[in-house]
Amino acid sequence: MKKKHSSILRFEGVQTLLASLLCILGGLLIGFIVLLIIEPSGAWEAITSVLESYFRYPSAKLQLKYLGQTLTRTAPLLMCSLSVLFAYKVGMFNIGAAGQYVAGACAALYVGIAFHMPWWVCMLAAILAGALLGAVSGMLKTFCNVNVVISGIMLNWIALYVTNMVLSTEGVKNPMSPYTMQLRGVNPGGLIPQMGLNTLFGNEKSVTIAIPLAIIMAIVVWVILNKTKFGYELKATGYNYHAAKYSGMKENQNIIMTMMIAGALAGMGAALLYLTGIEEWETTISSVPAMGFNGIAVAFLGGLSPIGSILAAYFIQHITMGGGNVDLSVYCAQISSLISSLIIFLCAFVAFFKLAIKNHLRKRDEAAAAAALPKKGGDNA
Amino acid sequence: MILLLQYTLLFASVLLLVALGGCFSERSGVINIGLEGIMVIGALGGALVMKFLPAEMGAPMMITATILASALAGMLYSLLLAVAAINFKADQTITGTAMNMLATAGATVAVKAMNTAASGGSDVSSDIIYTRARDMFIVRFGNFEFNWFMVVALVALLISWVLLYKVKFGLRLRACGEHPQAADSVGINVYKMRYAGVLISGILGGIGGIVYITAGVSSWKFENGVAGFGFLALAVMIFGQWKPFKIALAALLFGFFRALGNVYTGFDFLKNLNLPSGVYNMLPYIISLIVLALTSKSSLAPKAEGIPYDKGSR
Amino acid sequence: MEQYAVEMLHITKRFPGIIANDDITLQLKKGEIHALLGENGAGKSTLMSVLFGLYTPEEGEIRMDGQAVKIRNPNDANARGIGMVHQHFKLVECFTVLDNIIMGVEPTNKLGFLQKKHAREKVLAMSEKYGLHVNPDALISDITVGMQQRTEILKMLYRENDILIFDEPTAVLTPQEIDELMQIMKNLAAEGKSILFISHKLNEIMAVADRCSVLRKGKYIGTVEIKNTTKAELSRMMVGRDVKFAVDKEEAKPADVVMDVQHMTVASKQHDNDAVRDVSFQVRRGEIVCIAGIDGNGQSELVFGVTGLEPLKSGKITMCGQDITKAPIRKRSTSGMSHIPEDRHKHGLVLDYTLEDNMVLQRYFEPQFTNGIGFLKRGAIHAYAEKLIDQYDVRSGQGAVTVARSMSGGNQQKAIIAREIDKDPELLVAVQPTRGLDVGAIEYIHQQIVAQRDAGKAVLLVSLELDEVMNVSDRILVMYEGEIVGEFDPKKVTVEELGLYMAGAKREGVAQ
Repeated sequence: MKKKHSSILRFEGVQTLLASLLCILGGLLIGFIVLLIIEPSGAWEAITSVLESYFRYPSAKLQLKYLGQTLTRTAPLLMCSLSVLFAYKVGMFNIGAAGQYVAGACAALYVGIAFHMPWWVCMLAAILAGALLGAVSGMLKTFCNVNVVISGIMLNWIALYVTNMVLSTEGVKNPMSPYTMQLRGVNPGGLIPQMGLNTLFGNEKSVTIAIPLAIIMAIVVWVILNKTKFGYELKATGYNYHAAKYSGMKENQNIIMTMMIAGALAGMGAALLYLTGIEEWETTISSVPAMGFNGIAVAFLGGLSPIGSILAAYFIQHITMGGGNVDLSVYCAQISSLISSLIIFLCAFVAFFKLAIKNHLRKRDEAAAAAALPKKGGDNA
Repeated sequence: MILLLQYTLLFASVLLLVALGGCFSERSGVINIGLEGIMVIGALGGALVMKFLPAEMGAPMMITATILASALAGMLYSLLLAVAAINFKADQTITGTAMNMLATAGATVAVKAMNTAASGGSDVSSDIIYTRARDMFIVRFGNFEFNWFMVVALVALLISWVLLYKVKFGLRLRACGEHPQAADSVGINVYKMRYAGVLISGILGGIGGIVYITAGVSSWKFENGVAGFGFLALAVMIFGQWKPFKIALAALLFGFFRALGNVYTGFDFLKNLNLPSGVYNMLPYIISLIVLALTSKSSLAPKAEGIPYDKGSR
Repeated sequence: MEQYAVEMLHITKRFPGIIANDDITLQLKKGEIHALLGENGAGKSTLMSVLFGLYTPEEGEIRMDGQAVKIRNPNDANARGIGMVHQHFKLVECFTVLDNIIMGVEPTNKLGFLQKKHAREKVLAMSEKYGLHVNPDALISDITVGMQQRTEILKMLYRENDILIFDEPTAVLTPQEIDELMQIMKNLAAEGKSILFISHKLNEIMAVADRCSVLRKGKYIGTVEIKNTTKAELSRMMVGRDVKFAVDKEEAKPADVVMDVQHMTVASKQHDNDAVRDVSFQVRRGEIVCIAGIDGNGQSELVFGVTGLEPLKSGKITMCGQDITKAPIRKRSTSGMSHIPEDRHKHGLVLDYTLEDNMVLQRYFEPQFTNGIGFLKRGAIHAYAEKLIDQYDVRSGQGAVTVARSMSGGNQQKAIIAREIDKDPELLVAVQPTRGLDVGAIEYIHQQIVAQRDAGKAVLLVSLELDEVMNVSDRILVMYEGEIVGEFDPKKVTVEELGLYMAGAKREGVAQ
């Protein structure tokens, strides 16, 4: 093989990036068309306000403050996407991340509000709750052959109703509203420490070490997947279950372990949001929070790489925040979720797109090879 | 008691329709996780017709128009899956998941835009109200509200059975889900059959959507989607082993548990248990998990489902 | 002028980098059985794909009954009466025989409802006429491979095809079923059907064909009348040199017992009967014990039981004195068992991993490749892979970092063999190690296996190829329906004798 025709397209990373950018562009374009259909005159204004997000605010201080809020909400999204991509490496589609996230929220808030525990205990509880739910999915898969997608979805709803019940108990729910008590009021020690980070973001209260924690977790996931024996085994199991078994890996144990870790990541994500005090749980909520599902979008948009996920999570959160900027008397904020779901839909085509690039490159190689070499019958197998 | 029967039959009708839809798609070889989304879009199509058609046109016309609109909306929406999964060989799970999110977001944006425009900005809800039209679907026998959708579900069941087992279309469709190379080798166009399977699932899923949102209420908030009913239908389909009549029995069972959540306050002994309503809401999901855990060991799923068909690889 | 049913004249089909068919001419007479002989990769399947319209040739033309025709797709081919029994049957397992036969040409009434009664009668009449006995109402999953093949033949006959192509039809059959198939083919030819018989088994070609065309490396070598030729000549035409049928090896010097299997029973995944029933045997240092038998008589399950992929129902396995009956796969591997699996894509390789990652699939956890806290030593893995690639001549596009999927079958197999042999095992379990490989690769692999024996290892070889069984092994155990029905010395037994045992016609009480 000669590698004369080295082209920037040959790098896997470049292909992924290109594909992701195309998905984003496609999503925005269709979103824009939808806006045009609703009301053409303000459409451009609306789409730019979604994209500009917090840059719309007049002062640098406000911009920083809202950047801080965006980052605070990026952290849990990143965690959910890590959960999805980690499971995906072992061949499991963790749609249950949404429920694991809900379970994490339940555990973190309950331990924080009812028992006045310090933040790290709450976070641990969230991690455990998420891991538990993940493990249930994993065990249903390995012992009963239940499709992880189906069990994940059922568990999402079960987690939602259980959480609503648990967090509606006396002393946890605010008697005046459908929301849980404010952590800041009942147990300030349950809040993740800021360690001065908030001063960088216009004193936005919600900015805590949750943000660097999430990034550290992304790096940890990357290291586990790419540098360790455990990662080697997990990926082998995902690519070829039978070969993993053949080589003596404990394939079923690995699947359960993976789902537990995936669950733990999503559960921790919930802790990273609710333990910042940025919002409370609404106990009458009747649909599973979108965070986990958006995690799927982020994982695929980030090319299933933990590092790519950091960027993708920020982007999705950025436009989600931006959705609130549109003129609500004409458009609605859900235009952002429309755009993100369009992006995931387009992500489904990424594999096809990459294949097209590869085929194109191969054809070029072959044409070049055919031109360079005299014809000869090769040994094909 | 009559109320329980009525809701059981209604929810069973929804589950039956949607699960049959899933059955057609999977029998042709395409996993349809996007049924939830198809239901939302079908419901939207039907609800719009019910809201905007004049009530004077009479019940038969209204019923026909509503069902046609839902079926059409669901079918068009299922094209997204068909194109992605069949032509582009996209991952069917991702595609389906995206469709579910897209449907709720899209329906919300659409309804909100409509309400906002109609009210000049004062009504920004995602609700559609269809009280008058809904009444046309209902015939009262004493306390029992008979709903024409129950007949629709029954007819769909019979047609599905005939289509799958009694005509050549079914033989070919099933072959595509089991062994597409074999089907191709005798001149059956696998892509076409899979399109047919997915589009039929769109039609049935769409009708299921309108039945669901009109089952107990006269208005629907589209932000809420269809609360996981599409997924319950998938569980019904698996439990029913991809066979129409078994699916019907499974739908009745699941419909019963779902109906309990609506009417348990009518039973003194249940009311006296003093369980929070969440328990009843969870019931269908818990039951389906247990049922799946007990029945999934030996899968009867079509062998080639989920695997994109590539003419080249034989 | 001779009457030809099909003529493929001067067909040339190029793929980037290779010419798969180089000016090939094949003429099939009406009512003859015409063999197409060639090794793997000789261009047989490309030529058939051209005939079925899957590929368009750059040069050449196809004529039927003397008229030039264009065949654009398999439907065109079917419409012109060309039918094929594929090597891997195209049958829907959960359908009945009848449904499979009528699929694609279903008889319906005016309303579109299936009318199977008449079709059923027609099928029954045909099976009577040609001796193709099979129950039209049985499910494909319930009938034998031989019956499945008859279903495929009935499929062609039901469509009234006149040109029948059999692609390696005997690979999966018992000797008795092969005889029956030969008779069926003769009956069909006598009824005026023209048959193209693709094979690389000389005995069968000699037994049934009228003429034989030979391809080698994409080129047309020639066509001969069977009655004027010999096996030796055909095989020379096929490989381009005299084939060395024997493997050079010295007398075996069996030493102490490495593996001792006692009364092993393994359940079947397919049916309720046990796949392996009460099997006992031993393998010693310095000998190659071969399990022979027709595909599907429990050999795979026997290997699963020995290697730990499936649990035993009963029985005991001892390796080097240790009881490993319940030992997990990893334990067996680290205590000296190597396993070249039957299916290299399913078990042997993680196709999406690089070659180097596949090279350490059995040893990645060893301290030389993983440090104390669980991090992989990438450098060491790479160096080790480079060493094996060099030593075993594994060829790939980008060396150690090539993705395994993109490698050729022969090199994938070489990689597995390198990995398993380099583990320096006490016992080497090799299951059909040469399946689907060309002559050169087969010779190489046989040499490696014999070398292992000579180095004092115990070798358990499972093979479906009688040539391999006879030439490589030191002791032969024949399996039939899950039991060992005979033990033989390859120097003292004939192939015919083995065949009788493999087909269940004879059996003996096996001495330990």
